[in-house]
Amino acid sequence: MEIALIGNPNTGKTSLFNNLTGSYEYVGNWSGVTVEKKVGVFKNNIGKLIDLPGIYSLNPLSKDEGVVTTYFLVEQVDRLLNILDASQLERNLHLTLQLLEYEKPALIGLNMIDVANNRGIKIDPAKLSQILGVPVVPVVARSGKGCDHLIEVISTSSNHSKVKKHVYYGKAIEDAITKLSIELFGRTQHSPRWLAIQLFEGNEYVFQYLADLLEPSKLESLVSNLESAVKQENSHVKSLENYIYMKRKEVIEKILAASVQKVCSIVPLSERIDAIVTNRFLGMPIFLICMYLMFMLTFDWLGTPLSDVLDGFLTGPVTTGFEKFLGAVHASDFIHALIIEGLIAGVGGVLVFVPQIFILFFFISLLEDSGYMARVALVMDRIMESVGLNGKAFIPMMIGFGCNVPGIMAARTIETPRERLMTILLTPLMSCSARLPVYALFVGAFFAAHKALVVLSLYVLGIVVALLLAKLFTKTLLKSETSLFVIELPPYRLPQIQSLWRSTWDKGKGFVRKAGTFIFAGSVFIWLLSYAGPNGLKVDMDDSFLAFIGNLFAPLLEPIGFGTWQAAASLITGFLAKEAINSTMNIIYFVPENASLQGLLSDFYTPLAAYSFMVFILLYIPCLATAATIYKETGSRKWTAFSILYALFIAYVLCLVIYQGGKLFGLV
Amino acid sequence: MFGSFRVGEKGKIINISKVGRLVQRRLLDLGITEGSEVCVKCIMPFGGPVMIESCGQCVGLRRKEARLIEVERV
Ligand SMILES: Nc1nc2c(ncn2[C@@H]2O[C@H](COP(=O)(O)OP(=O)(O)OP(=O)(O)O)[C@@H](O)[C@H]2O)c(=O)[nH]1
Ligand SMILES: [Mg+2]
Repeated sequence: MEIALIGNPNTGKTSLFNNLTGSYEYVGNWSGVTVEKKVGVFKNNIGKLIDLPGIYSLNPLSKDEGVVTTYFLVEQVDRLLNILDASQLERNLHLTLQLLEYEKPALIGLNMIDVANNRGIKIDPAKLSQILGVPVVPVVARSGKGCDHLIEVISTSSNHSKVKKHVYYGKAIEDAITKLSIELFGRTQHSPRWLAIQLFEGNEYVFQYLADLLEPSKLESLVSNLESAVKQENSHVKSLENYIYMKRKEVIEKILAASVQKVCSIVPLSERIDAIVTNRFLGMPIFLICMYLMFMLTFDWLGTPLSDVLDGFLTGPVTTGFEKFLGAVHASDFIHALIIEGLIAGVGGVLVFVPQIFILFFFISLLEDSGYMARVALVMDRIMESVGLNGKAFIPMMIGFGCNVPGIMAARTIETPRERLMTILLTPLMSCSARLPVYALFVGAFFAAHKALVVLSLYVLGIVVALLLAKLFTKTLLKSETSLFVIELPPYRLPQIQSLWRSTWDKGKGFVRKAGTFIFAGSVFIWLLSYAGPNGLKVDMDDSFLAFIGNLFAPLLEPIGFGTWQAAASLITGFLAKEAINSTMNIIYFVPENASLQGLLSDFYTPLAAYSFMVFILLYIPCLATAATIYKETGSRKWTAFSILYALFIAYVLCLVIYQGGKLFGLV
Repeated sequence: MFGSFRVGEKGKIINISKVGRLVQRRLLDLGITEGSEVCVKCIMPFGGPVMIESCGQCVGLRRKEARLIEVERV
């Protein structure tokens, strides 16, 4: 049995999905968190549960919404589990009516009962169930209250709606539905009534589907005839779509009158918070202060001391332990070097930054779960508009601070294709967590007094470059006027410690896992390259294959301040994964006992060159996984290649300006 | 008209048809259409977006679109 979760955005579908299947998918307090179909298995094995992006109606505007309509048209759904936000029942029921027209077994999960209660809204589930003809189960997805009962209902009742026609659309439309149903007879397994109504509403996906079955011109004339007929009958009607909406609205008003009681109205705390954070003048400064605090904690107050402890542990007891063990088993020199100089240096060089990564992810999760994310989009919209994007594009960028891959995926919620493409192309400029170890290494060595500030400058630089490029692209490559910005601002929710921890862990574990697999293998490989050379094994590192490869590119990097084969070699590995740069450096500059890489680096870089290097790392290329995602999301080789090339170009030019300019001003 | 509204003022939408089609559709999705009561919650500086509230739901939209919505004070 396959059950699909359908509902408006941000109604708690994924929360419920996690609860029922015991999995952990991405939850956040804004609209458009889930952007693709996810499949899970019920904890008690009664079937598969499918989580889908949130939609307001089955007639999609953006790509993530299209995922749902395609799912409805193409796949076999056994049952629908419609999640309603009890505090926003009226708006949610529009979708419910469309789902019931689909004529598949359905049931309703009435979520956010706690929120509704707080707002003084009392809903009678029995009455609602009676009117709609399907079971209605109240739940609180966040705490899991009512989930057992929900599972019970799912596994027992048959749930075909007992009511046949929920909405009567008037004679003209009903006749047209009948006409189309006759034509479609035997040609489709979907409900003809549903197909007809969606067609009349202007659903492109359904039109395409029907165009394969019937003559497209016939469909078009059917719709246009119907539209004029409806307009003739009702002079105030603006469009067919609107007329259908109003018909549903009438029915919904009746349903609400019968099943909902508004006890009293309370001013929610949300509005009082909003009076401050989206205040005319305070909005932007508050956002910047939040960012600043986040960086101070990550790099200064909390993250660095923790990393130092871990570093001490890895270079101290862990290394000695391995040394002892290798000595005891009489390992060969080769194995000894491989493990100590290759693996521990390479993997350890990445692992020491785990505390900082986790702190950063904690803040990103906090941002996502509190409801502040959508406010940031609102606050940033004016700036984004001036470069041809909209505030919503800032959400993928913020997510990109964690990892660019989900950031690029999140761009699916942006309605206009032009703005979406631009967001996809620019999100890789956001400094992801994998770049953080490189910064941490370099700021520790060169800018110890202003760690957080220097790193913050890099993050801001990433944003500024992205905005300038957006402006440039709007003026040249991607000209178009249309821009759409309407954003739902969810009520603030106090993040729960448990879910915060889970989402932090879920993001952070990817980093740890990568260190254990990808970086592990990469370290071995790089070490081998540095150990072997054209003249055999155990060569001096400057004669190794690695040096040979690095030297090919080093001259190119000379003008931007770091024309060493070491830098060139690490940059090449950085394409595979940004944190591999650290591994490579740790292996190349292998420092035996008591010295640290940070101390050693100052022999190879000047502070100016170090800053230039960090800027280069920030911009120079999307990593392999990101490039693959760009390809997947744009479906275009051309744009993928473009995203790599323009980044290289911008990085080089900017570093040239910084390094040469800096030298002119006498900085070193 | 919405343009002249200040923070905290309430109104009822009487005509929304001048707004762009896509924006209209999105507002409709959020339950905001002719007849809805709306309240201006905040206005961002430098011609930035406005935040309005309707039925306990807060929505952000651009000021130039908000200006095209005809509203009567209540
Ligand atoms: N108070 C309360 N909050 C809830 C409840 N269920 C979910 N939430 C919160 O609502 C927010 C949205 O939850 P999600 O599960 O991501 O919602 P979704 O429907 O999957 O959202 P999209 O994927 O964007 O469509 C999160 O912050 C949850 O913690 C509930 O029953 N009560
Ligand atoms: Mg979701």
